[in-house]
Amino acid sequence: MLPMISAINPTVKAIAVLIPGILLGLTFDVFTPLVYLLFIISVTFLLSDLSFKRWIKFFVPFFLFIASFSWARLLYTSETFQDGSVLFSFWAFEVTTGGLLVAVSLALRSLCFIALSLLFIMTTDSTKFMLSLMQQLRLSPKITYGVLAGYRFLPTFKHELEVLRQAHRVRGVGRAKGIRGRIRQFKRYSIPLLANSIRKAERVANAMESKGFTGEHDRTHYHQMTVTKRDWRFLGMMVGALFLAFVASYYFGYLNIFGYQVN
Amino acid sequence: MTKQWKLKEIVLLSILGVVFAVIYLLAFGIGQGLVGALTPFGIGPLGYEFIYGIWFIVSIIAAYIIRKPGAAFISELIAGVVQVLIGSPAGPQLIISAAVQGLGAESAFAVTKWQDYRKRVLILAAVLTAIISFAWHFYSSGFFAYEAWLVGVMLITRIISSILIMALLGKWISDQLAKTGVLRGYALGKEHQQNRDQDAA
Repeated sequence: MLPMISAINPTVKAIAVLIPGILLGLTFDVFTPLVYLLFIISVTFLLSDLSFKRWIKFFVPFFLFIASFSWARLLYTSETFQDGSVLFSFWAFEVTTGGLLVAVSLALRSLCFIALSLLFIMTTDSTKFMLSLMQQLRLSPKITYGVLAGYRFLPTFKHELEVLRQAHRVRGVGRAKGIRGRIRQFKRYSIPLLANSIRKAERVANAMESKGFTGEHDRTHYHQMTVTKRDWRFLGMMVGALFLAFVASYYFGYLNIFGYQVN
Repeated sequence: MTKQWKLKEIVLLSILGVVFAVIYLLAFGIGQGLVGALTPFGIGPLGYEFIYGIWFIVSIIAAYIIRKPGAAFISELIAGVVQVLIGSPAGPQLIISAAVQGLGAESAFAVTKWQDYRKRVLILAAVLTAIISFAWHFYSSGFFAYEAWLVGVMLITRIISSILIMALLGKWISDQLAKTGVLRGYALGKEHQQNRDQDAA
């Protein structure tokens, strides 16, 4: 029985998403990232209860953004990939089949990155991720709880911004005009907001120390994060599938590592 | 690495990481806009390069305020992790980019053994961060497939953006913060205090 993604240890899950993300950088053919993309999407929907609607809402905006990068790659392909016949001309640009293939390959690679990321962020609880980084990767408890405290403060920033705006209005400071005004406005908002968060950091640190927080690793945890066999199975599956994609790509004669056609 | 740090310095580092993670995410939107505007000319990827310095700024601010080994690296790394927590679609990949960028900035301070925080060192940190992060993106984002001149223009734009935003704006923000007095307990605030005492004497 394969595990549900949301139950996988967050650190192991992050590693399972990172390793393929790094290795995908090697490929410049179309086949490998396409196979892997199909794999990620199937895993996402078979092993989690994510709704397709929510997933696609994140996925589509990135589609457009990747299209822009691919367009640039199409027009300014480096000479390594400038082989094949000319497909069409656009202004002074000539697009070759080689250029088209590498643009599609890189677009698919980026889609893989995004699918992997969505797989991670949509199935992971942020607090548990931090706790797991502390318990599995021995991230310092001082940093862990510092980040969690800072994270907790995020919603209050919006309120503080509103207070600042009202304070300015009461004192008759209107909207800024011109570039100089804009710069002054930037200073009026950014410096007090940052100063406030620095004050908060100091207060939180004092509170932590006064309650006996030492920052040692030798402590008990309310949420005990563990790594079990099924976490390793998940890691093996994510990385193994990429290797299978590489092997299949090699077998069918598509594999291209950094512009160098293997076999 | 953080053994000789005070707890309040670590918490400050963490909170700076969190605050700038939000700013980084907002900058992402601006970058998308620029990319969109430049796309018709086929130079969309340049859009990000103009404002790239924003994504490095917390390294300078943290290192310049706290002045301890690791401040530049850890703050950038935290900003990367927190962006993932908030839900950046760039996902855990971002943590690697953040680590690479943090190392770039940290290496400049390592050269001066974490003793020198003058403007020239901050600019060195900005240049190194730009170059090292570019090398990473050259691999991960496939810049390899662009024509050489476009890669060159992107690199130069990133270096300039990094000097202006990361080094100069970062220093300016930190100095303004020190003037408010909230940094009294940290290295930069103490330096400002000393300067003021000397002026008064």
